[in-house]
Amino acid sequence: MMAESDEVGVSEASWPYWTRSLWINLLRIGVVGGFFLLWEMAAGRWIEPFLISSPSRIFSSFIANIQSGTLIGHTWVTLQEIGIGFPLGAISGISAGYLFGRSRTLAEIFEPIIIALYGVPRTALAPLFIVWLGIGIWSKVGVVLLLTFFLNFFNTYAGMKQMDREYIDLARLMGAKGHTLTFRVILPAVSPYIFTGLKTSIPFSVIVAVVGEFIASTEGIGFFIRLSAGIFRTADVFVGIIVLMSMVIFMNTIAGLIERRVLQWQTQTEHVRIQG
Amino acid sequence: MQEPEGKRSEQTITREAAEQPESSEHLVIQVENVSKVFHTRKQGRMVALEDLTLGVPYGKFVTVVGPSGCGKSTLLKLIAGLIPVSAGRILYQGVEVRGLSTKVGYVPQESKLFPWLTLEENVGFGLESRNYTRQERERRVRDYIKLAGLTGFEKHYPAQLSGGMSKRASIIRALAYDPPVILMDEPFGPLDAQTRMILQDELLKIWKKRQQTILFVTHDLVEAVALADRVVVMSHRPGRIKDILEVPMARPRNIFEIHRQDGFEETYAHLWSIFRHELEIKFEEEDPEVE
Repeated sequence: MMAESDEVGVSEASWPYWTRSLWINLLRIGVVGGFFLLWEMAAGRWIEPFLISSPSRIFSSFIANIQSGTLIGHTWVTLQEIGIGFPLGAISGISAGYLFGRSRTLAEIFEPIIIALYGVPRTALAPLFIVWLGIGIWSKVGVVLLLTFFLNFFNTYAGMKQMDREYIDLARLMGAKGHTLTFRVILPAVSPYIFTGLKTSIPFSVIVAVVGEFIASTEGIGFFIRLSAGIFRTADVFVGIIVLMSMVIFMNTIAGLIERRVLQWQTQTEHVRIQG
Repeated sequence: MQEPEGKRSEQTITREAAEQPESSEHLVIQVENVSKVFHTRKQGRMVALEDLTLGVPYGKFVTVVGPSGCGKSTLLKLIAGLIPVSAGRILYQGVEVRGLSTKVGYVPQESKLFPWLTLEENVGFGLESRNYTRQERERRVRDYIKLAGLTGFEKHYPAQLSGGMSKRASIIRALAYDPPVILMDEPFGPLDAQTRMILQDELLKIWKKRQQTILFVTHDLVEAVALADRVVVMSHRPGRIKDILEVPMARPRNIFEIHRQDGFEETYAHLWSIFRHELEIKFEEEDPEVE
C-alpha cells in the first residue's frame, strides 16, 4: 500500500526508512555541533570564560586530568560507591518486593512503615549516613543502597500486586512449586516492573552518590566538582559533569542490553504489532 | 426440580441423577453435597453453589451448562482445589480434595499461556516438575504440538500466535502431562464461530485418542450437546444440579453437521426445555409483580 502524505498527516513519514533516519541523524549532529560552536564563540567574547568555560578548554582540561591520574582516581571512587551500593540495593529491593508480594501478613505489617520511610527526602539522609559511616566511600555506598532499595522495592512490589494471579494458579496446578514457581513464573511475570525499577534507579544512584560526596568527602567525582567550582576551575567542573553523564549512559546501555535479552518475549510482541 | 415425570419419559434420554448413583469405583470425581458461599464487601453473603452432588465417571466427556453466574466456573475451581468448599466434600479418585490438586489439567477461559515462554516451553511446563526424562519430555511436547497442528511454531512466543493457535496450545499444555481429568472453563467462548467448530472437532479427535475424563463448562447449548456423553444442567444462583441428560449420539461425531446427526435434535430440544424453564424463573424473580 502506498503511504499517502494526507493519510499519515506528516509527509516525512512516507519517506523510505533509511533516508528519514539519515536526515534525523544529520540534523541532530547539526544541532549539537552548532551549540558547541556557539559556546566556543561566546566564551571570552560575550561571556567570561570562568563562568562557562569553553569546549576547547574543557577538552584540554580533560586530557590534563587524565594524564595526571586525578580524574581516573575520582571516577574509580564514585564507581566503587555505585558498584557496591547499587547491586546490593537492587537485590535487596527486588527480594523484599517479591516477599511482600507473596506474604500478605508481611505486607500488611511493613507496607505503611516503608511508605512512611520513603517519604523522607533521601538526600536528607546523606548527612546522617556520613555521621554513621564516616566521610569515606561507605557513607555513599549507604545512601546509594538505600535509594536503590526503595525504587526497586516499590516497582517490584507494584508488579507483584498487579500480576495476573491466574498464572500462579495454573502453574501450581501443573505441579510447579518453590524454585520453579519463583523463577519460571512469578519473576518473569514481574520482570517488566523490575526493569522499570532498575532503570529509574540508575540516574538516581549517581545523583545521590555525588550529593553524598558534595556534603563530605575527600575523593570522588562529586568532590572533584565541588573543589573545582570552589576555585573557579569551570572547565574541570564540566569535565566532572561529562564523566557523570558517561556513567549514566554506560549503565543505561548495560541495563538496556540485559532488558532486551530478558524481555525478549515483550519486544517480540511489539515487533508483531508493528507489522500489523 | 419438580418436573412432571411423564414429560421426560417421552424422550430418548434417561435421567441420571443422585437417585441412581453409579458404583463409586467408576467415578473419578465425586462432588458430595457441596456448597460454596462467598463473602464480599459489596454484596455481603453470596451463595454460589448449594448442596450440589455430582459424579463424573472415568473417561466420559461431561459438559456443564447453566445460566451465567450460576457457579459453573466455581465448581471447576472447587474440583481443582483452587478454592475451598464451604460445606460438603469433593473426592478425586476416592481421595478428598484438600488444597490444590496437581492431578487435573485446567484450561481457562482465556488461553493464559505464559507470555514469557515459547510455545514448546509452555506445552512442556507441566512435564518439568514431573519425573519425565529429557527425551521423553521433548518427545511428548513434539507429539502434542504435532497433534494440535502447531509444528513450526515451537519457538514462537504466545504474542505471536493467533487466538485459535493459543487456544490449541492452552489445551495441549493441559493434556501433555497426562492428568486423568481435564477441566475446561468455557475454553472456546471468545472465539469466532468457524474457529470454534474447528477446535471442537480437534478436541474430540484428541480426546478419542487419549480418553481422558473431561469436565467442560459452557453456556452454549449446541456445544454442550455436540461434545458430550452427558450434559449437566445447573440452575440459576444459587447453583444446583437441575438435571442430567445422557446424549445418545454415536461417535465419532461430525461437528460441522451436528444438527443432522441422529439424536441431536431431541437432546437439544429437551435441554432447551429445561434451560428455558430456568430462564423463566430468573425473569420472574426479577419482576415479581407479573404474577
